[in-house]
Amino acid sequence: MKIERMKSNKFKTNEIAIFLTMPLKKETITMNALLPAVLRRGTNKYPNQVEIGKQLENMYGAFFNCGIDKTGDNCILKFYIETVCDKFLPIDENLTQKAMDLINEIIFNPLTVDEGFCKEYVEQEKENLKKKIESRKDNKSLYSLNRCIEEMFENEPYGIYKYGNLIDLQEIDEKELFDYYKKMVNESEIYIVINGVDADKVEIPDSLDNHSVVNIKENEPLPKQEERIVNEKADVTQGKLIIGMSTPNDNRFAVSLYNAVLGGGANSKLFQNVREKASLAYSAGSKYIRRKDAIFIVTGIELQNYDKTLKIIKEQIEDIKNGKVTDDEFDKAKQLIISSLNLIKESQEDMIAFNYDQRLYGENLTVDEYIDKLNKVSKEKVIEVGKEISINTIYYLEK
Amino acid sequence: MQVIENKKIDEKVYIETLENGMKIIIIPKDNTKKKYIIWGTKFGSNDNHFIEPKTGKEIQVPDGVAHYLEHKMFEQESGVDSLYTLMALGLDANAYTTNDHTAYLFACTDNFYEGLDELMDYVQSPYFTDENVNKERGIIEQEIQRYDDEPIWKLYINAMNCLYKNNPITIDVAGTVESISHITKETLYSCYNTFYHPSNMIMCISGDFEPNTIVEEIKKRLKPREKMAEIKRIYPEYEPTINKNYIEKHMNVNMPLFMIGYRDFLQNENQIKKDIAIRIVFNSILGKCSKTYQDLYNSGLLMREMDCDFEFSNQYSHVLISGESRKPEEVYNTIIDKLQNEEISIEDFERSKKRIYGEFVTNYDDVEHVGRMFLADSIRGINSLDYIDEISNMNIEYVNKIRKEMLKKDEAILSIVK
Repeated sequence: MKIERMKSNKFKTNEIAIFLTMPLKKETITMNALLPAVLRRGTNKYPNQVEIGKQLENMYGAFFNCGIDKTGDNCILKFYIETVCDKFLPIDENLTQKAMDLINEIIFNPLTVDEGFCKEYVEQEKENLKKKIESRKDNKSLYSLNRCIEEMFENEPYGIYKYGNLIDLQEIDEKELFDYYKKMVNESEIYIVINGVDADKVEIPDSLDNHSVVNIKENEPLPKQEERIVNEKADVTQGKLIIGMSTPNDNRFAVSLYNAVLGGGANSKLFQNVREKASLAYSAGSKYIRRKDAIFIVTGIELQNYDKTLKIIKEQIEDIKNGKVTDDEFDKAKQLIISSLNLIKESQEDMIAFNYDQRLYGENLTVDEYIDKLNKVSKEKVIEVGKEISINTIYYLEK
Repeated sequence: MQVIENKKIDEKVYIETLENGMKIIIIPKDNTKKKYIIWGTKFGSNDNHFIEPKTGKEIQVPDGVAHYLEHKMFEQESGVDSLYTLMALGLDANAYTTNDHTAYLFACTDNFYEGLDELMDYVQSPYFTDENVNKERGIIEQEIQRYDDEPIWKLYINAMNCLYKNNPITIDVAGTVESISHITKETLYSCYNTFYHPSNMIMCISGDFEPNTIVEEIKKRLKPREKMAEIKRIYPEYEPTINKNYIEKHMNVNMPLFMIGYRDFLQNENQIKKDIAIRIVFNSILGKCSKTYQDLYNSGLLMREMDCDFEFSNQYSHVLISGESRKPEEVYNTIIDKLQNEEISIEDFERSKKRIYGEFVTNYDDVEHVGRMFLADSIRGINSLDYIDEISNMNIEYVNKIRKEMLKKDEAILSIVK
């Protein structure tokens, strides 16, 4: 267990986050996806959502949320609670402690019936999760990106869909889920962070004693391979062309800048050349998944423009390799990343997520140190890493 | 410079009224990189009948002029659209028109002063020609038609038509295809010269600013204008009763929408206190944790929480409760009965009051929210900071009194879109 107190008087609220981290595995992902939804339904002290809701309102409209995420080859269950700082309350109260107690109650003291979760809650949340999995195709952009990730990391944990699968879901019952939950709590790494002006005032409940440590392996780059093309059909009016590329793991700051030059924002090569000049795409950009050493180019195009778009995208990748990056392109890309990094400091949730990621991977940089490292990257370095970046998977969702 | 302060939540607000009459409100936030500026004029769709101060002539303008003018303000003599110029600076820029004001704004982290140059330049440089005014007509017509197809918008306008007979709030902010056909370059200039005078405008700024410095920066960018007498607006007569109880419209929606409305006839009560009381009533009787909501949810009559708004200006004041239900009439009957007859318990009152207090305090973290709130409140003559103290001072007797006197069963209206 790790506890971090981030004292700050920047905000009117304090935020507590508790993250449970475990290895990402196909056998457990569906249960993991179901757990936060079941846990938030009721605890032994507050047996239903109305009682939890009343407690949140009594805590000056505290805000609670939870969910599941994947980072690298890890699965993370995330729980957050946000409350007004004690000094802004009309009467004296240790509200942050109450927040700690409530979030602790929700995660570690769920409503149980005969050594299992409440059957009604599990069945209802199974139904909700089922709808969520079934409707994943509704958001075509997100669906295509996730499908490309699944194809590219087919044989790796990262290729697992974070909300699980319908076959496993069907099998889950309230007893089995509860048994798994107890094991999971013991075996996962628990990280608690308290952000805000009252960070020091909060006592960590004794029940939260846990010694598990998740071992993070350094990410191995994917083996080099020929471009793999995956086509899928759906009822779409706009084609989704997603290109997965593997990136080197020894110079991530340069890759981050490479990504910004290629597809970050309105000044990037993809936006300028695919969307603006050639008018081939409705949207064109790229996304760097640092913890898996991959970049995904994401475009929405007219169906007949597949070949032309792919050709221009490849030209952009080649251009960077050949050093065709102007100082202006490079400076604007740098500016873009730095201003988005600076924005992290404006949100408690983003600060917490950034710090957690830094701790998890043992890098321990602050946002400013991180910006400093980025600032030191030269244009030449970006061109150099560009030579090591290659296309792995081309995914196309078409009609 | 006037300084107002709320020590409890550690907020200070600086207000400066310039010689030309323009009001500047600064809400400093020294620990954020985000900056927000919003410049509003007290000119909205309701201001369609007035006496022009310069000529003393009574003028009636076609519906939708304020919105038309907003569209045209971005057009510059250089041919470059100001919205584009602002976006190219990396700013999040926009404008909007409501019933009682029009506002031009941007949010940013960098390039604030470059943005300020452009914002203050374009709002002070109208450039209307017969050609560019005509060109816009088709674009606005499409916008009006798009709104006409929007179930939520229809639901709202129909509710207004139940609550009022002749109040301008019953008119679409953008006007009608017919009304905007009468708008010319001359109409726009006349409205611009009257309503875009500094004495009719308010600017709100939030972010890391030193109040005196920013006021000087604004003054530098203001163009000289002749003094102007007060604008006299002519409003229709106060309507002492609602217009009708019920209206429905068929639009083939998946799940019927409903909006329940009540006029606020309590003209002598403080608007802020009424606003807070209504929020407490709604949260206690119909909010997520209330028994009524739970019953409606469990019986499948509601799928999600309802919304409640207390809307007011110096010309209208009403409460709106809206949601979705497969049987809206049944929900309506339950709601109007509960609102009239259910005494709020002290437990529900205290809980709701705490929740609302927390929301108001938390909102002060967001420069955009703060800027927008101070502008909208200030247009209506309200000091936003008063809410914090009024929430703390609220008592249950007052809340139940407002509930009984404002939310009368036989004065409720129902608008449905099926």
